[in-house]
Amino acid sequence: MNIIVLIKEVPDMERVRFDRARGVIDRISSEGEINPLDLWALQSAVDIKNRHGGCVTAMSMGPERSIASLRDAFARGADNCILLSDRRFAGSDTYATSRVLAGAISRMNPDLIICGEKTVDGDTAQVGAEVAELLDIPHSYYVESIDSMEDSGVVVTVSDICGSKQQRRMKLPALIAVNRSIAYPLLPALERKLESISLNVQKMGISELSGVVGENDAGLNGSPTKVSKIVIPDIVKRKGKIFQNDGSDNFINAFKTAVQRRPGHE
Amino acid sequence: MNSINKSIAESLCRIVGEDFVIEDLDKKQSYLYDQVMETVRPAANENSIVVKPSCTDEISKIMRLANDNAVPVVVRGGGTGLSGGAIPVRESIVMSMERLNNILEVDRANMVAVLEPGVTLADIIEEMDNHQGIWFPAHPGDEGAHIGGMAATNAGGSRAVKHGVMRKHIQGMEVVLANGEVVNLGGKLVKDNAGYNLMNLIIGSDGTLAVITKVILRLYPEEKYSGTIIASFESLTDASAACLEIIASGSVPLAVEYQDRDLWRGTARMVGRKWQLEKGDADIMIIVSEPDEEKFYSTCRRIYEVCKKNKACEQYFAGKKSEQADLLKIRSQMYEFSRQRTSHAFDMAVPVGQIAAFLGDLRKLFAKYDTTTNITAHVADGNIHNDILLINGKTAPYVEELKTEMYALCFSYGGTITGEHGVGKLRRKDLTKQKSETELALMRGIKHTFDPKGILNPDTLLESTCLV
Repeated sequence: MNIIVLIKEVPDMERVRFDRARGVIDRISSEGEINPLDLWALQSAVDIKNRHGGCVTAMSMGPERSIASLRDAFARGADNCILLSDRRFAGSDTYATSRVLAGAISRMNPDLIICGEKTVDGDTAQVGAEVAELLDIPHSYYVESIDSMEDSGVVVTVSDICGSKQQRRMKLPALIAVNRSIAYPLLPALERKLESISLNVQKMGISELSGVVGENDAGLNGSPTKVSKIVIPDIVKRKGKIFQNDGSDNFINAFKTAVQRRPGHE
Repeated sequence: MNSINKSIAESLCRIVGEDFVIEDLDKKQSYLYDQVMETVRPAANENSIVVKPSCTDEISKIMRLANDNAVPVVVRGGGTGLSGGAIPVRESIVMSMERLNNILEVDRANMVAVLEPGVTLADIIEEMDNHQGIWFPAHPGDEGAHIGGMAATNAGGSRAVKHGVMRKHIQGMEVVLANGEVVNLGGKLVKDNAGYNLMNLIIGSDGTLAVITKVILRLYPEEKYSGTIIASFESLTDASAACLEIIASGSVPLAVEYQDRDLWRGTARMVGRKWQLEKGDADIMIIVSEPDEEKFYSTCRRIYEVCKKNKACEQYFAGKKSEQADLLKIRSQMYEFSRQRTSHAFDMAVPVGQIAAFLGDLRKLFAKYDTTTNITAHVADGNIHNDILLINGKTAPYVEELKTEMYALCFSYGGTITGEHGVGKLRRKDLTKQKSETELALMRGIKHTFDPKGILNPDTLLESTCLV
């Protein structure tokens, strides 16, 4: 069973700061990490490998620094790691990203592709489905369990959507996008973590993907959508004030005045 | 000792304002106890009155009032203590420091922060996020703890292995004496060798010598790279040998924690996490922090090799912040997990080289009473928290006898009755088993010099003999 896990490096969303003036994420404020939902995808792939044998390849598209996340994927049980990186990939939207990923995958003949249902920095939940469509293979999103896995196909349970739960059977190769019920991400063995620090990660750019990804397929050229600006809402700080009820009208009046002064309560 | 009459209550209202004096029992309930288990805690005197000053001047006036009228004063911080220090067992003025919660200054040049006593550990951690490159490394447990309480109890915690206890982190204090006088001790100085170090006497005095109204806290360069290793061994002897070898290698971890496996597993289950170690019988958690990545991984590698050499069965690594936080949560919530089945909790400490032998003997001692004990230990600083368990939900009849034998065992290893929780009201009698009469007499002399009328937190640390 050859499994490819798609992972994306994202900032730690609990620590990252936003540059409100420029409307961008201040990436220096937080180290990158594997998109949390992709950790569930990776663990489910490793669980399948442990049960059925095979090989898990972690694949990511991103800048050079994403090597750290791929090394982490190795520590957590991936056998191979591939980084799709090229300055001409910069600015890719979900469609261009999917084309690059699908192009690389098309050369690898996997049985199963697993990804998280979305990334926490983009929240689009589109790349997995687009990759599957480009590869012309079946796919299921919001998968909460893999019920059976055979050479002929995979049976998955899709989590409760609008009051119904579905069990789906798909022929292989297939793509599944998983949610947090799929597995419990385990800590990596310390030995493997230490081994991962000096791991050589295979890199592929436009030239290595020649024939499956063209210059106009990726980057800004290949992206039909553009993010013009990210607006981060200001944090509203609440203020507190104690009003002493001294039995006079002053208490009611002071309270009324304070409430009426609030924006939206004029 | 005098009771709190109407005139004293009115005076308190005049000092702090009537909004900040609580006499209603329902409202003051949450000010009467700390975190000591109900099975062993002394009863609070419910006639006590709660007062919430906002500044040093008000505290000074309250102390003058209390001293003139010989009324006990119990200073209250975050109420997170584990020795009953904050429980007013006599009719007292309970002085809550919650309104003195300002971070007055973060002085990068001198690497100190000047804090009011009601600033919580959580406040400090949050504030440090605003100052890149510096941090306060100590973490004595509950983040609701006030810095004043942490100073008054000389709090320790798991990170004491690398960074020491509170006494090491405090450079200066402003205190109010029992008679209301305000005194400044220490300062932003790194070196200060002028006379007796009164500040270090007040740190760890459980609020019996003075009221701490300001703390100058030492800050440190941030150790940006951190990770947590969990490792299992066939026996605690192997685990302990590995810990000693790690420390001796010069790679001092931030913390080295041992717990019985059922505590790790049970607490993990309680907080919705999984405890991953399955092989072997003795699990330890090692927290590593270093200023740079190279040193961090070099320390991790050394720990890995030392553990392997000492027959570690499994070793896992948490580097992701959320995974580190999960492991820390499993460790820090253990008390909540075990308190339902605990009758008496202890805080003994022995020399680090003796910890495995001591714990082995401790287990044998419990077996003699046909019972078991929960064990949690800061292995690398020799500090053990073990419990006498409830039997069918009730305190066992042999508790006092077993406790006497436990302490005798502890003393035979050169140990102490309390490594970090302090004497408080809970271990006052136990202190007399450990300290000679000469030492106790010196302590009583110190207490009398600071507080001739014995109004500051009576019945704490020493027997109260001076109250008028």
